[in-house]
Amino acid sequence: MIGVGTAGPTGGRPEPGAGSRATERECWIALSLVPGVGPAGFARLLARYGSAAAAWRAGPDALENLAPSRGQGNGGGGHSLRPDPREVARALQHATERAGGRTVTGLDEAYPPALRTLDPRPPTLFVIGPQSVFLERAVAIVGTRRASGYGISVATEIGDDLARAGVVVVSGLALGIDGAAHHAAVAAGRPSIAVLPSPIDRIYPPRHRPLARDLLRAGGAIVSEVAIGASIGRPDFARRNRIIAGLAEAVIVIEAPDRSGALLTASAANAIGRELYAVPGPIDAMASRGCNRLIADHQATLVTSSASLLRQIGLARGERPPTVNALSEVEGQILRHLFERSGSIEELVDRTRQPPASVASALAMLEARGLVNPFGGATFHPTLAAKRLAKVI
Amino acid sequence: MATGVLVASDQLDASRLGRTALIGELALDGSLRPVPGVMALVSAAQAAGACDAIVPAENAAEGAVVQGIRVRGARELREVTRHLAGLEPLTVVGPPSRDSESALDDAPDLVSIVGQAVARRTLEIAVAGRHNLAFTGPPGVGKTLLARSAAALLPLLDEREAAEVSRIHSVAGLSQPRASVSLRRPFRAPHHTISTQALVGGGPRIRPGEASLAHRGALFLDETLQFRADALDALRGPIDSGAVTIARVEGVLALPARFMLLAAFNPCPCGWFAVDGHECTCEDGTRRRYQARLSGPMRDRLDMIVFLAPISSFRRSAPPENSSAVSARVATAAAMQAERQGSANVDIPPGQLDEGTGFSSSVRAQLDTRARQLGLSMRRLHRAARVARTIADLAGSSLVRAEHVDEALLHRPKEVRP
Repeated sequence: MIGVGTAGPTGGRPEPGAGSRATERECWIALSLVPGVGPAGFARLLARYGSAAAAWRAGPDALENLAPSRGQGNGGGGHSLRPDPREVARALQHATERAGGRTVTGLDEAYPPALRTLDPRPPTLFVIGPQSVFLERAVAIVGTRRASGYGISVATEIGDDLARAGVVVVSGLALGIDGAAHHAAVAAGRPSIAVLPSPIDRIYPPRHRPLARDLLRAGGAIVSEVAIGASIGRPDFARRNRIIAGLAEAVIVIEAPDRSGALLTASAANAIGRELYAVPGPIDAMASRGCNRLIADHQATLVTSSASLLRQIGLARGERPPTVNALSEVEGQILRHLFERSGSIEELVDRTRQPPASVASALAMLEARGLVNPFGGATFHPTLAAKRLAKVI
Repeated sequence: MATGVLVASDQLDASRLGRTALIGELALDGSLRPVPGVMALVSAAQAAGACDAIVPAENAAEGAVVQGIRVRGARELREVTRHLAGLEPLTVVGPPSRDSESALDDAPDLVSIVGQAVARRTLEIAVAGRHNLAFTGPPGVGKTLLARSAAALLPLLDEREAAEVSRIHSVAGLSQPRASVSLRRPFRAPHHTISTQALVGGGPRIRPGEASLAHRGALFLDETLQFRADALDALRGPIDSGAVTIARVEGVLALPARFMLLAAFNPCPCGWFAVDGHECTCEDGTRRRYQARLSGPMRDRLDMIVFLAPISSFRRSAPPENSSAVSARVATAAAMQAERQGSANVDIPPGQLDEGTGFSSSVRAQLDTRARQLGLSMRRLHRAARVARTIADLAGSSLVRAEHVDEALLHRPKEVRP
């Protein structure tokens, strides 16, 4: 059974004519809040009754008609149509505004154009941040939460390149790859869009609250399909991922193990006709299994470098900040080795044939100048700034 | 007491006793049993003006460490009375020999450890300046082996320190393995199931804990993150002050506990986090909770955290050095420190990190720059500066140079990043 029923808090069936004085938009918001009515169910209701107001007036019976063909939903009984859609809509809009956001329905001008063509599309969205970011070109970067140093490094580089090329980076604000992509955009001072699996007033994961703040400060936006106060058991990643793919013209999967959420975004991208790119990884790395398979199965285009990716998407590399001061001989040597392959300090001692003391002091100097990043204190990766130097040394 | 009876009953001439301290437990059969804390007692007797002491024979070597008093060992009361009566004098036990050091050597030799040049180097630095060092990395890379090899690298104690150490060990009843009053620094490696009390000391009859037993030596906590959190946190005091303070109704007692801390732990429960070419199977939250077992304040008190990567091959560029080569350099560096400031580098007060200890104004400016670049706290900066001082000592340089500072900074404990 779907979430419609007999035992709602206000007693089930709406009073006749309750929806008559409410606007279509209010009915729309109220209807999209009914548990069990996902984007697909909403679209069917609209198709059957012609408008949200009409569907609302039809009451629970209307929803029961959905049952046979309903694909998703959480079967949460107990909630039913409340009598006055105006109250529902007003309460929600009020709560959303208190969280610094706004409610955007499919009826509104402000509804993101990229999502209009989705079928079905999310009926109502909750947004913090300027409307204008949804009008820019956008590319999604997704990947595993358990990223390796390689994944973080690649996500940062591609995120930075995309952001500097004037593209809005779209991702899910998750740990790992998502976070690295947002961080890169924020560091470049460009807007990015974070699509949350949770309501906009509950940043998930909590550890990324500062990142969300910086993202908004950089002119980005936070989007969610989940209404404030909606009692969701678990964050709905599948629906979130579909919005990520929908908002972007292309989706880049950086690192994804088998059965990763990023692969859901990838298949959503293919299903809704977005370009799909995948960054390859070592064939023995679990974290890259999904990406390698996408490439092998011709699901995704192989990314050979950030520059080639930008060309394929039809972008030119943006301005790059000036380079840093000259490096010492050992520092340059270490950086060259790190461009070849990132590694631990022990490996660097081995490869450079320099004494541990000079490798250590050179690495510290490089770290202090922001040219290397010690991932987990273990593996040193060249940073973006270092990659910009690559041509100089 | 028994002697007192003999004197009182005129079986023994009191004048013969003179300024002789008698220490021991008298058994019913007249034999003398060894007692704990002989060294402390003898030195107390010496301080009280005694110039002779007779102790149970088993404790003689221990008591003989104390200078300025003649110590004799006796097996039974009869020997004591005969000695005092001048019939059969007991021989004075000479100060213990200092050359039987290697006999106790159960520390693994560095020659048996392949690769890990960076970790070896940091171990040498840590031991030379007595800095707190942590090894981390996946299982099987040699964290424990390296840390244990530190036992053979520690520079020898001087006389005064040796007396301190022996006194503590004697009180704890541990003098047996150190019968010859070794100049070797103690190396204590308690198991991670140890109670807080056993680690820092205390108990109904106050006993020194492992922290005090490691006084002037090293305290090695293998699998550091498996120790009880309160036990680890209880080490903060001794690390800061060099003493364990035990508060009792009768008053406050401070047991010396100036040790260097050696730690070894996995970076996450599965052990493979951030290792290139390996998958970490830990959930993010699990890993963070695991890492958080080393609390921020404890992390702050470490001088270096070194990540040991698995060695990729058996190919080696140079044959590994053995421990004695390293300990020779350590001894030289330790001597430089003793001569310069009379203490190990780890104990240089922040106010003395200046020209007097080899920090030129340009190096101090560099430290300030790095603090800004890397976002370091004052405490972290001071700790790094002391490590840099040791690196300079190992290089035989009276001045601390920029590269010494940078090497020290690379190994600084970093914040746990996502």
